[in-house]
Amino acid sequence: MDLVCDLLDSLVIDRNGREMGRVDGIVLELRDGMPPLVSALEIGPSVLGSRLHPALGRWIAGLEQAFGVANGRPVRIPFRHVLSIGPDIKVDLAIGQTAVGNIEDRLRAWIEKIPGAG
Amino acid sequence: MKKIGNLLLGVVTSIGGFVEVGSISTSAQAGADFGFALLWALAVAGALLAMLVEMSGRLASVSKHTVAGAVRARFGFHFHLVPLIAELLTDTLLLTAEIGGVAIALKLVSGVGFQWWLLPVAAAGWLIIWLGSFAVIEDGLGLLGLVTLSFVIAAWRLHPPAAALARGFLPTVPDHDLARYGFLAVSMVGATVSPYLLNFYASGAVEEKWTEPDLWINRTTAFVGMGFGTIVSMGVLVTSAVVLGSRHIQVDSYEQAALMFVPVFGRWAVLLFALALGIGCLGAAVEIALNAGYLLAQAFGWSWGAEKKRREAARFSSAFTLVLVLALAIALTGFDPLRLTLISVALTVVIMPFVVLPFLVLMNDEDLVKHHTSGPAGNAVLAALTILGAILALVVIPLEIVGG
Repeated sequence: MDLVCDLLDSLVIDRNGREMGRVDGIVLELRDGMPPLVSALEIGPSVLGSRLHPALGRWIAGLEQAFGVANGRPVRIPFRHVLSIGPDIKVDLAIGQTAVGNIEDRLRAWIEKIPGAG
Repeated sequence: MKKIGNLLLGVVTSIGGFVEVGSISTSAQAGADFGFALLWALAVAGALLAMLVEMSGRLASVSKHTVAGAVRARFGFHFHLVPLIAELLTDTLLLTAEIGGVAIALKLVSGVGFQWWLLPVAAAGWLIIWLGSFAVIEDGLGLLGLVTLSFVIAAWRLHPPAAALARGFLPTVPDHDLARYGFLAVSMVGATVSPYLLNFYASGAVEEKWTEPDLWINRTTAFVGMGFGTIVSMGVLVTSAVVLGSRHIQVDSYEQAALMFVPVFGRWAVLLFALALGIGCLGAAVEIALNAGYLLAQAFGWSWGAEKKRREAARFSSAFTLVLVLALAIALTGFDPLRLTLISVALTVVIMPFVVLPFLVLMNDEDLVKHHTSGPAGNAVLAALTILGAILALVVIPLEIVGG
């Protein structure tokens, strides 16, 4: 498996078929005398931002903090929860079990007040 | 039988939704300035669009992925930022121009200045997206858009000389204003082959759950719908050439463009032109705003879909709302709607290689489209045309800005 090609930036789908986000980062565990191990996938705009520039990542994390949605973010999905890879990555978790939906939930709270939002 | 009905609806709404602010203004100017001489540019643009739309529908039907999402997954976020930002920028400018187009149409029938209509138009566009499902938005506005066929009726009833029309399909070098000729050719291609159409079409195919057995519907909708749609644009050019060009009337404003209907439709001319312009632009505005939502949601892996309840795709709903607000804000700063339209459609051609070239790579990736990959001839033609168009655009846009 090619980590960058097959994992990074792929869409992550939860166990109910809902979009969780894209793989913004990959966490590797370095082991003495053994090849590194993929321990988790990371989802979150701060991780994505830090790929462009570390300062951008810190700035986004600060914004998340300021808006009160930073709790539990960026989300780390332990690799053992990955069910299948390619083209999308399916995981054995539900969105609600993680903090990936924090911003969505915050916006939903506002949007629900607008008539016609369902 | 249901599939035949869907196919017919798809073709008819593609035709009804084809022309908008960019295609009407560029074709009207081309006809007024150069007679039938730029018909070839519309033919090239129509063929290019049909090929690209067919490809994006094929990608969506087979892989269930749209262009935006697949580009990030395949090329990574760093690369994807370039087409993403370029598309969002041109989408916003074009959306501003479409809002301006509807406002001008309302001014034509009401006499009230177009600036006063900008806010109500943006609000109406937002309401349509907020309250409508994908089918209502796409089919409703597409069917209403059939009023744009009045351009074809006008062209037909003006009896343009067949031999001169036929000559227009052969590219020629004009005896005057070469830079203007080149700029209009580029703008007509940009107005026709808008990148928003590709991702919007692919997103629609995912929303309507097209699968591999639906590929023939995709192919027919793309080639027949876009083919006949191009004829509507040609109707604008021919009507403008016969009515305005022969009287040496230049199209410096939409009010002048409306005159092209007078010889055929008499006292209904302005109303009919305003309806065609207004509905065409409103349909495009709604599609562009939705597409901005699609682009962002697919790039970042958010829940998306006009078929979903707005609360179930909160970030997607917020994204299209924000882009509409941004376009309205630009519109309210005061601008010449015709000039903004021309610049934004010409810019579209500059960014085309960033959209089309990665798309071609995806369409040759068997992991995504299985055995439905594109052939080498199609790849070569599309790559060559988009690169050539971008180079030409980089040459003629500065000339137009300096000269205009």
